[in-house]
Amino acid sequence: MSAPFAAKRLGKELQKISNSLPPGIELVSADNFEEWLVDIRVLDDNPLYRNEIYRLRFRFSSTYPIEPPEVVFVKLPDRPIPIHPHIYSNGIICLDLLGHQGWSPVQNVESVCMSLQSMLTGNTKNERPPGDEEFVRGNRLRPRDIEFYYHDNDV
Amino acid sequence: MPPPNTPVDGTTTPRSTQPSQPAQSSQSSQSASRPASSIIMDASQVKTAVVKMDYQAIDYVNPVDETLICPICRTAFHSPITTPCGHTFCAKCINRALERQRVCPIDRQPVDKTRDYRPIPLIIKEQLDRLEARCPNQGCDYVCARENLEAHYERHCEFTPVRCPKPGCDKLVARHLCSIEGQCMHETTNCDFCLKPVTFVDLDAHWEQECEAAFATCPDCGASVSVVNNSMLKHIQQDCPEATAKCTWEGAGCRVTDKRRLVREHERNGCMYETVGRLLEQQAEDRKIIQDLTRRLASLEAVRDTRRRGRRRDSAATINDRSAAAVAADGTLANPAASSAPLADGTTWESPHNYMLAQFERLESQMEELREMVCEMDMRQSASFLHHSQQVADRFLELGDKVGVLSMHTKWLLNMQYMQRNAQLRAANAASLTAGAAGAGNVGLSGSSDGGHHGGESSSGAGSSSSESGPRYQLGGRRGSEGRIETLTRL
Repeated sequence: MSAPFAAKRLGKELQKISNSLPPGIELVSADNFEEWLVDIRVLDDNPLYRNEIYRLRFRFSSTYPIEPPEVVFVKLPDRPIPIHPHIYSNGIICLDLLGHQGWSPVQNVESVCMSLQSMLTGNTKNERPPGDEEFVRGNRLRPRDIEFYYHDNDV
Repeated sequence: MPPPNTPVDGTTTPRSTQPSQPAQSSQSSQSASRPASSIIMDASQVKTAVVKMDYQAIDYVNPVDETLICPICRTAFHSPITTPCGHTFCAKCINRALERQRVCPIDRQPVDKTRDYRPIPLIIKEQLDRLEARCPNQGCDYVCARENLEAHYERHCEFTPVRCPKPGCDKLVARHLCSIEGQCMHETTNCDFCLKPVTFVDLDAHWEQECEAAFATCPDCGASVSVVNNSMLKHIQQDCPEATAKCTWEGAGCRVTDKRRLVREHERNGCMYETVGRLLEQQAEDRKIIQDLTRRLASLEAVRDTRRRGRRRDSAATINDRSAAAVAADGTLANPAASSAPLADGTTWESPHNYMLAQFERLESQMEELREMVCEMDMRQSASFLHHSQQVADRFLELGDKVGVLSMHTKWLLNMQYMQRNAQLRAANAASLTAGAAGAGNVGLSGSSDGGHHGGESSSGAGSSSSESGPRYQLGGRRGSEGRIETLTRL
């Protein structure tokens, strides 16, 4: 029963976002109800992200939208990983909205993209999170299983 | 937090109990409404929807207002509830969300599902009920208000999955495929055309999409046409452009017979028989109209004849015996049924309409007679009244005369009395003036008083006689007048 629930909800979302999406967000592929790819770009003139497009990968579990989707940046030749104190260089995002505690079933793909957009827009620090290298080297966990310590709530 | 498999039923709304019941209630109502003859096995079990309607799968005709959409499932609310913080969700959705986190998904205020749910305002329920919704079943395009959709789905929709007709088979099959009682639709059969094994359920789809043998090449046009249900024959007779066809105006004399494609072209270019054909069509229509008019005329004439016959009979009856008719009219007043019965017995009527018309006319003539009778009686009455009143008036006149005479007598008597008094007064004056001749004055006074007495007597006698009769009165009057003259002379 859970699986169709997620599929139906995603079907509704797809229906909506294929009609209209906010500026700077573009659906790349949504061939199934398990993995979607979305391109986002920052709208203002932030020099850190100017003229760049970033690719996001959403992975939905069968319990979506009760459980959060797994959202990471994907590195491609023309799609870098944005530099941000909450984004590791392997694309993993440390954002409470995407964690178990911060997630709410009323969120959706569109709202997550917009949150990430504003997260990038508001950033001025040209740095990776502390301990980025060790984390990238040592992490074998899926993003959903990582217990982030939200050390910095004002970014 | 309850274990994951706890049944979700924590709502306190009246609607929330509904979803758990319809399977049972619709079963019982359906078995009641089905004719007994069709129940060979427990048909109600077979024909009832076993899967509840999926409200999430409903497609709405018009876009649903954003305010009526559950933020969790993104579809129009189904049996919604409201949290203490004022947010509304489908009961199922919020229950599922609260299993993970006991806070409102929108503002993260704590929510306890056993206690905090509130029913939604009726106006919202009404709005939801009125949404025009499409049946969620594949292949069904039924549209109705959402509140009625569940009934359609449970009982009527031909595409609702129901239990396979074969007892023991626990698979589901669309209702319209359960045509044969006891026939398992999941058994495999061989396709009639390609002989491949196919389940009954998939047979239609197989013929339409997979089976190549179900399609044959049309011998004329070479198109691939399905051979299921005589569709090939239909194709050749109606559609195939290469099959032999006749001109539309064949009836008008056109002899063109060729491939349909060429015949169509011939018709487009203007068949020379087309004008004739259209004229013939027109004529046929006119003939139909004429027939119709003739029929109506005949019926109208029939009605007129019966009316005329009825009138003649009535007038004959009135001429033969007017008084008898009057008696009959009286009878009608007293007892209408009795008087109408003979007429109804005597003749057979073509229609109740005619019968009523005749009755109406008869009643009208009776009414006319009654009116005459009333007039006659009125005249007689007024004549006798005149006669009587004449007598009374005569008597009045007579009495009036008598009263006049009486008043004349009274006046005369009063006059008389007045004159006597005057005379007495004058005599007294004279006596006081001639004081010396007292004796002579006394004699004169007594004599005059005698005369006065006499006159009084005679007048009273005349008065008594006048009250008795005319002739005597005249005598008395004369006597009275004589008396008066006497007294006057004596004075």
